[in-house]
Amino acid sequence: MAEYEVTIGLETHIQLNTITKAFCSCKADSWGDAPNTNICPVCSGLPGALPAANKAMVEKALILCLAMNADINMTSFFDRKNYLYADLPAGYQITQNDKPIGIGGYLDFQMDDGRPVRVRIDNLHMEEDAGKTRNEGDIRLIDMNRCGVPLVEMVTQPDMHSADEAATYLIKLRQLLRWLGISEANMEKAHLRCDANVSIRPKGQVKLGKKCEIKNINSIEAVRTAINYEIQRQIKEVEAGNEIEQWTIEWDNDALELRKMRSKETAADYRYFREPNLMPVVISEEFLQSVKEGMPELPLARQKRFETELGLPAYDASILTADRETSEFFEEAAKVYGEDNKRVSNWMMNEVLRIVNEKGIGVAELKITPSNLADIIRLVDKKTINTTTGKTLVDKVNDSGKDPAALVKELGLGLVSDDSIIREVCEKIVANSPKEKALYLGGKETLIGWFVGQVMREMRGKADPELAKTILESVLKAGEGN
Amino acid sequence: MSDLTSLTALEQAKLIREKQISAVELLDQTLEQVKRVDGRPGSLDFDHETEEDKHKVHAFIILTEEHAREKARSVDERIAKGKSVGALAGVPYSVKDVYCTKGIQTTAASKILSGWKPPYDSTVIEKMDQADAVMFGKVNLDEFTFGGSNETTAFKPTVRNPWNTDRVPGGSSGGSAAAVAANEGAISLGTDTGGSIREPAAFTGVVGLKPTYGRVSRYGVIPFASSMDSLGPLTRSVSDAALVLREIAGFDPRDSVTGKVSVDNYLEELKKGVKGMRIGISQDYMQITYMDDNGEYASAPIDPVLLAKMEKAISIYKELGAEIIEDIPMPNTKYSVPSYFVITRIEAYSNLQRYDGLKYGHSTSRPVTDMYDLYYKSRGEGFGYQTKLRLLTGLFASQEKFYEKYYGRAMRARGMLRNDFDNAFNPQGKYRLDVLLTPSTPSAAFPFGGATAKDSLKMQFADQFTSPMNFAGTPGVSFPCGLDNEGMPLGLQAAGYDYCESKILRAAYAFEQATIDEDWRKVKPMVLK
Ligand SMILES: [Zn+2]
Repeated sequence: MAEYEVTIGLETHIQLNTITKAFCSCKADSWGDAPNTNICPVCSGLPGALPAANKAMVEKALILCLAMNADINMTSFFDRKNYLYADLPAGYQITQNDKPIGIGGYLDFQMDDGRPVRVRIDNLHMEEDAGKTRNEGDIRLIDMNRCGVPLVEMVTQPDMHSADEAATYLIKLRQLLRWLGISEANMEKAHLRCDANVSIRPKGQVKLGKKCEIKNINSIEAVRTAINYEIQRQIKEVEAGNEIEQWTIEWDNDALELRKMRSKETAADYRYFREPNLMPVVISEEFLQSVKEGMPELPLARQKRFETELGLPAYDASILTADRETSEFFEEAAKVYGEDNKRVSNWMMNEVLRIVNEKGIGVAELKITPSNLADIIRLVDKKTINTTTGKTLVDKVNDSGKDPAALVKELGLGLVSDDSIIREVCEKIVANSPKEKALYLGGKETLIGWFVGQVMREMRGKADPELAKTILESVLKAGEGN
Repeated sequence: MSDLTSLTALEQAKLIREKQISAVELLDQTLEQVKRVDGRPGSLDFDHETEEDKHKVHAFIILTEEHAREKARSVDERIAKGKSVGALAGVPYSVKDVYCTKGIQTTAASKILSGWKPPYDSTVIEKMDQADAVMFGKVNLDEFTFGGSNETTAFKPTVRNPWNTDRVPGGSSGGSAAAVAANEGAISLGTDTGGSIREPAAFTGVVGLKPTYGRVSRYGVIPFASSMDSLGPLTRSVSDAALVLREIAGFDPRDSVTGKVSVDNYLEELKKGVKGMRIGISQDYMQITYMDDNGEYASAPIDPVLLAKMEKAISIYKELGAEIIEDIPMPNTKYSVPSYFVITRIEAYSNLQRYDGLKYGHSTSRPVTDMYDLYYKSRGEGFGYQTKLRLLTGLFASQEKFYEKYYGRAMRARGMLRNDFDNAFNPQGKYRLDVLLTPSTPSAAFPFGGATAKDSLKMQFADQFTSPMNFAGTPGVSFPCGLDNEGMPLGLQAAGYDYCESKILRAAYAFEQATIDEDWRKVKPMVLK
């Protein structure tokens, strides 16, 4: 079997999380609404209605362009893409054709093994969504709630060479979108949609193979599976001596199979022309500057900085920058703690993220604050509590929202470091254990551990074990002279 | 009370506010007038034209009597109680049937929209309501405004010219022009994409104002070519046009092309006169330029009577202290008609895609095999011949492979045409015009069927002097200037620069006042005799 090189390009549709739709004042999110209840004359394309562009859409699209390192068209235009379909009530979609808001750009990311990948972007443009079509037997049902929802369509260059790379690109894109706060990026809710163009060619061949487009892939796992299926299908065709035809294929995620939708003989003619009802999108220098100033540090840069400046291992840095809230929580805790960032990282990954996973919530929803976490680590450092108590204290603080030190006091979790109390217990234990005392004094010094254990049991773990050990030694040896 | 329907809106409003007449009384008289002159309304269930039809105006598609009576009563009540009312309180007006009216059928004179009742009012209808004007009916037009004679309407009988019912009223706002000329309301609201307000205004001897693109919100008005559609009033006096514009103009967040430019008190502005104004004349507006069978530009003269009217207007303006600047070069005027053809058809094709027989309006009752079959049959039955022609040419010209050949070139021609206006009106430029004076049309209203007859240049190019302003986005007002040798009205146009409606209205008003006692003004349309 010959070796093949796989080439993949992705077209993603990103639903921006604006409050209202792209060109009218209907709310953008119709999740859970009855069909055709969140519509108005504008988004349902009634005669005479006119679009008015939502500024928030432009701002969010601009943020994405900057994050993707794209060139910004300071003047971009809306165009009409004309086609007839029942879920497109005006008979055209308002989109950006030849002068979109963003041109070029790229996304850098690391694969799990640390290998860097750069995926270049062809362009980013704003457009409105179409409605939803559902077929029920012979009947076609149209829901226009989604009509006019703002999207950014982002098209990559064919820069990915495995299903894994494509899936990782999407994971990183999803991370970025949420990081920027411009999309919920939930693939199951179609906030992030993906079509994949897949082709293969024998290794060494310069010309790209004919590509097939897989539509309707709505989860990261489906992207991985569908692309791998398609690669296998294309290899099988080529090995059997057949030509790859340029198909559009639909991925059925329930049946786990690819289904041919249509052959692409000729590209459709969308008769693009400028949308006369909208003014050009003009981005002023001031606006661009204010958006730039509001840009957060991006995930990869922050990951790198956690490694280089904060001295975290690559693994820690990658986990702690999985989302913006986690990274910010960690960095704040590390700042308050002020020393040994790795120690904070351990507590963060082992305890805080454990709670997040157990509860299935986001870091933003935690009651425990970064400075609470720093306080807890310090309490352990100062031996006010031991490590085990520290771990349960993280849960207790998060459940109650109370201050860690106050909770230690309230629940009596503090280690007893009062000499006289521990001495009293030590003397009692030694007095009640003459046999062990004799053995110890006879040279079996390892028995000191057993004595410490007895003291800790008696004091329900609250004694400072180091202190108990010292006192026990003195108590045991004090009896020696008698 | 004597005949109230021949009064201007300004006079009517004054009488109502002074409680000399009631709004209901005026409405009744107006409806009476409609009954007297209009004949049966335009309808889809039309069989053939009767002898009686040929002598009536047929401006209306529907009368909204109940709606109007309710509004008129509320105006009367408020006036009786001493409450404040709008500037057009109690004045009946009609509206071209492309303005969406909530709960009232809106047809665009097409079968494809039959039965559709919009769930919303257009911005201008809302503004007229706030001014307390009384909408009493919706008037006929060319189907989807595609035409200049009103003959393409699907609602027959078609509108006839009140001056001579054998002549067309012009179009596409033919119903509006005819209604106002026949005293069926002092105001009608029209739309103008290439001359559709100004041409019928000239043909029926009324005032027709096409404001700057962006001066009046287009929200809720069924579009023809969205980059050129303008809305404005047709009235019997310049003052009325100024008054209505003041009420309907202004920025609208629902129409992105409206400008945040303050609205003048146009009515007050009229009094300033034309003294010191720079009024330009261009030879490019004194002849018809067209492409002959060999594809060469050729020219043909306009009606000599019109030239005489121009001369007379010039001497009046001179007397009033205006400065006349001759030979303003507008060399790209000749590109107007062909580029207009391309751009409007491409935009119209796209705008009309939504009529699919699925969501509203006409849907085929024949059996269909699938969704597309439903589209084909419904559209095939619903659109008229002229609309289909425009859709086909739009479909042809909008193909991606022809983008440069047609749309690209037409857009460049549009830019050149706009330059002509910038050169003429630029306050720092060579000519610094306030007003460009032109004939509104190359001739008076033509007989029915004229536009398709042989040797019909003047009719085919009826919008050559008006469509450049739609391209440039600048304002123009057509006002009556006399009658031709057959007793048909003629119009002149005062064209201006962006948002300079005050100036063109001042020029029109000055002419109107200077000629107010002339004999031709005493001649009444045929249907009023
Ligand atoms: Zn809406």
